[in-house]
Amino acid sequence: MSATEQKPAHWSEKLQTFDRRWIFLAMSLAIVIPLFFPLGLPAKPDPMTKAAYNAVESLPPGSRVFVSLDMDPASTPELEPFFKAVMLHLKRKNVKVVFGTTWYSAPPLVERYMREVVEASIAPAGTAGYSGAPDRPYVKNVDYVNLGFRDGKGAIIQLFGSDLRKAFDGRANDGTALDQIPMMSGIKQLKDFDLIVLLNAGFPGAKEYVQFVGTRYKLKMIAACTAVSTTDLAPYFQTGQLIGLVGGMAAAAGYEDLVGKKGAGTSGADVLNIGSIVVMLAIIFGNVVYFVSPRRRRGGR
Amino acid sequence: MKKTLPLVLGMLFGFYAVAEFYIPHHAVGTLTDEFRSWAGILTAAAFVLGGVNILQVTWPKIRRREADWEYKVILLAAAGVMLLVGLPWHRLVGSDAKATVTVAAGASAAGPATVIVEAPADVVVQVGSAVGAGKDAGGKPFTTQVEPGEVSIKLSRRVAGYQPQEVKATLTAGQVATVRGDPPMLWGKEGRVFVWLYDHVFAPCNSTMFALLAFFVASAAFRAFRARNVEAGLLLGAAMIMLLGRIPMGRALWDDLPDIAQWLLDVPNNGGRRAIMMGAAVGAIATGLRVILGLERSHLGSD
Repeated sequence: MSATEQKPAHWSEKLQTFDRRWIFLAMSLAIVIPLFFPLGLPAKPDPMTKAAYNAVESLPPGSRVFVSLDMDPASTPELEPFFKAVMLHLKRKNVKVVFGTTWYSAPPLVERYMREVVEASIAPAGTAGYSGAPDRPYVKNVDYVNLGFRDGKGAIIQLFGSDLRKAFDGRANDGTALDQIPMMSGIKQLKDFDLIVLLNAGFPGAKEYVQFVGTRYKLKMIAACTAVSTTDLAPYFQTGQLIGLVGGMAAAAGYEDLVGKKGAGTSGADVLNIGSIVVMLAIIFGNVVYFVSPRRRRGGR
Repeated sequence: MKKTLPLVLGMLFGFYAVAEFYIPHHAVGTLTDEFRSWAGILTAAAFVLGGVNILQVTWPKIRRREADWEYKVILLAAAGVMLLVGLPWHRLVGSDAKATVTVAAGASAAGPATVIVEAPADVVVQVGSAVGAGKDAGGKPFTTQVEPGEVSIKLSRRVAGYQPQEVKATLTAGQVATVRGDPPMLWGKEGRVFVWLYDHVFAPCNSTMFALLAFFVASAAFRAFRARNVEAGLLLGAAMIMLLGRIPMGRALWDDLPDIAQWLLDVPNNGGRRAIMMGAAVGAIATGLRVILGLERSHLGSD
């Protein structure tokens, strides 16, 4: 062998530069296959999800709850399963609900939720696989009020805390004066609600509610967030500033388990199972390739 | 003056925002609420400024045919379309089309009254507790019998963006009421076109962008997440436990795995996260004080 002839690359070095589209293909299969062939592994709730469930469960019938839908279509796979489960929970307890949002991209989504989840029955009597109490369709401005969207980030959340009516000009989203809606009597600010439910996909969201109004007005709040935000919000659960936290789709599946009606969270948990396995295999594979690499053995990085 | 006035205003409002926390007087609360309303109005006005800014930034690039100018045309066109369909045009041309009711005597003057609804097939008709489509599979109009007295007839469409119609009629025994209606299409933020564009263009694009994260996470996991040293090894181990412990498969593999993941979240994560949050808060207080005292002026456009 001549001195100028190069040695063939070690197999691990070849793998270091392999086409990443193979990983994309593996991830695609990991997402698609479980949708057609579900594993059906039981999704058990974690302590933070159980605490959120207990906070709703402890509400007496006729309580009033504020739900802030601070989300966009991108976060619906993770947050919508919780929204449906918590709405079923609230509706079967006959709780009055007031909705609002601080996200400009949310209003059409909120309108859809009103039509498909709030004004419709989620689990009518005789629903297969559901043994809980049936819920009934809610009537606008009787059982629920949609206040709509207000921009202003942290400042508007502070105004919700001190004067919710002023923040929405004293009117619901459809123009009805809040004074004419019986369920709104006695409600001026957030602390007049028995519970605040926050669906949070980022900024502004649960963090701002905790920092600006939660502690100041001693609000009882639970939050649902995307999986990546769970570590951000977990300290607030530990301090009691959030009395429940549902982090990501797996936790939403746990909430569905507690409510007794399986939904998109439970079926999505299968995708999470296989998707997470693919990520773990990618990590293991990457490290094996790294550790057997002759360059690393020679002290290189 | 161009810089002094904003600086003084910033100082005054900055001091007030801090001070109001310590003055539990109702007059201060009322004034604070007023200021917060102003903040909401200012933020809404920023949307208009943002629109003007997009135009100022992208239009010259399109005119000069700079790199990727085609995408900027799409950006402006999309923004223009959403603005146009977001305006309530139906209020200009009138959208108060109402359903009409014609009442006639029936074949007999006894028994229940009959309601016939003449509406397109995709209209949902609700007469009292009876619900059905405007036309059945054979093309016959929705027909139902009701008890004599006042009856409410609602016409709506399953899809969003149409104005529901509602009429009431008082019927006596045997009468036949014929209702004609067709819920008109709305424009504006709750209109058909806006909602359609949101549901069929914005929502899928938005979701796709977020979903791509899964692919990049998997790719990055292979290329970057390596145990190069002890710290990276610890991070990697914790990540593996969290990944497995937070999914149902983790519990199926080992009952205690979710508990270990929860401990990682509760103790090391929350401890570290709290330290970061407190550090950031102290930094924010320091920066806030510098702005209030006028020492930090970069937000005014100076160095």
